[in-house]
Amino acid sequence: MNFLRAIIGQTLRNLRRTWSSQALTLLTITLSVLIFSFFFLIYINMINAGRHMGDNLRLIVYLDEEPGKPLQDEYRRKILKFDRVERIEFVSSRQAYERFRKQLGHDQDVLEGMPRNFLPPSIEVYPIRSLATLTRIKRFSDYLQTLPGVLKVQYGREWIDRFYSFVKLMRVVVILSGLLLLLTTTFMVAHTIRLTLCSRERELELLRLLGASNQYIRAPFFLEGALQGLVGSICGLAALYVFFDWFRLRFAGTAVLNLFPFTFFPIPVVLTIITAATLLCAGGSFFSTRRITRL
Amino acid sequence: MTANSPRVMVELIKVSKTYPPSVHALQDVSLSVRSGEMLFLTGKSGAGKTTLLRLLCRSEVPDKGLVEVAGQDLERISGSGLQQLRRRIGMAYQDFRLLPRHTVAQNIALAMEVAYRKPSFIRKRTRELLERLRLSDKYHTPAGELSRGEQQRIAIARALANRPDLVLADEPTGNLDRETSTLVMELFREHEEQGATLIIATHDRELFDDGGHRVVELRDGRLLAPEDGEDTGSGDASLQSEEADQ
Ligand SMILES: Nc1ncnc2c1ncn2[C@@H]1O[C@H](COP(=O)(O)OP(=O)(O)OP(=O)(O)O)[C@@H](O)[C@H]1O
Ligand SMILES: [Mg+2]
Repeated sequence: MNFLRAIIGQTLRNLRRTWSSQALTLLTITLSVLIFSFFFLIYINMINAGRHMGDNLRLIVYLDEEPGKPLQDEYRRKILKFDRVERIEFVSSRQAYERFRKQLGHDQDVLEGMPRNFLPPSIEVYPIRSLATLTRIKRFSDYLQTLPGVLKVQYGREWIDRFYSFVKLMRVVVILSGLLLLLTTTFMVAHTIRLTLCSRERELELLRLLGASNQYIRAPFFLEGALQGLVGSICGLAALYVFFDWFRLRFAGTAVLNLFPFTFFPIPVVLTIITAATLLCAGGSFFSTRRITRL
Repeated sequence: MTANSPRVMVELIKVSKTYPPSVHALQDVSLSVRSGEMLFLTGKSGAGKTTLLRLLCRSEVPDKGLVEVAGQDLERISGSGLQQLRRRIGMAYQDFRLLPRHTVAQNIALAMEVAYRKPSFIRKRTRELLERLRLSDKYHTPAGELSRGEQQRIAIARALANRPDLVLADEPTGNLDRETSTLVMELFREHEEQGATLIIATHDRELFDDGGHRVVELRDGRLLAPEDGEDTGSGDASLQSEEADQ
């Protein structure tokens, strides 16, 4: 108890004495967290959007002739063997015709005189809904193309490709900004601590002579780092939230927001970011004070 | 050897310290100080008094010889062992070593904080010491703004604050007038009565002329036979001096 009190008192005194460099560090951490979580938020929302769009995603495999029951089973077996799917539906020529007719509504008369089987039969494959499906769908389609009796495989190829490459790009950006966060925080924390160490050399030497334990000397630095990580990440996330809120209000009701349900991080993610930043900074400061434990 | 007995607080055996290039600050010094004793260490400027005290809290290491404090060989003591030992030693440095931008109270509190004392104890003890040394009104003053004499008293207060078992005072009255010196000596004597061991380096004869305490003199790094003839600086002197003093 007394230990804690002594450590906290020491830390507060420290912060008061070196507040300008502390503020600079805090600003850096805040900005890094802001940049990282900004991209991360976009990334997460894109994944969500992808999942959303995956909901009405299906591959349509056009066949050259109506498959009989054994052939249907054969197709089903092969498809299931290749990948797990949610649903496989066989659409016969006639069913396709009926569907088309219904879609036409009042303009049904254009179909008059057309043979009932002028549309090819098809298999509709509904993949499991996940982002992974989006990335695998091209391979899936390529495979289906090789099945016997297949005329053509259709899916929203273009937008999936484009979306997927954008997600890939975002992933790289997120990783890079995460690295930036890692570097700046540990570097800045280590740097401020080194400054403090220099400015407090006399004091630390005196503490040694008075018999201060290693924990007594190091713990305040550890606490200082943790505090900076905590406050910095909270500030960064708060700033992002303010921006997010503004963005949502600004574009409320527009097509973009109707298409994608744009949401903020769920609480566990917020907590994870804060915890990670706190640990990172605490760790950074802890390691940069290893030197002073030597007598 | 009686080194491990709690009755001996400080044991020096044939200790030598040479500063580069060839300043023989201490040569073959042997000295034993009983627990609860108040010992005066005198000698001309440059005789090696400060060096001897610095060896006792291991801010210097000897080139030769054995230094034991509270039964622990300082050459072999571990890091945490030394930290614990230092919390039991209160040293008032000749150059004070105060933190000029910390307040007087903070400076004194530091010695108790490193020992994880309760804040209430720290406040009470700080007040008490400042009052005893007539510095109560300087509680919140930065130490750097004090006069030399005031700084000296703060250094003494810090050395005594944690009620250490061993008090090392290096020229504690060097900047003080007679009256204030008396205050300091009263404090020291009180700690002696409460069982602390004190080693006071000084060339102020008046501090020890009233007798009753052992005085040893350093001359050019060697321990001289003191006035009453005990403690010749040999390894066996410890036993002799103990008997002589009782
Ligand atoms: N760090 C050092 N480096 C080199 N020489 C030193 C050092 N410290 C002390 N000395 C030398 O060692 C000798 C003893 O010094 P010391 O400080 O122990 O003397 P002292 O008895 O305390 O003197 P004073 O009464 O003036 O304080 C002196 O000649 C001094 O110059
Ligand atoms: Mg000296």
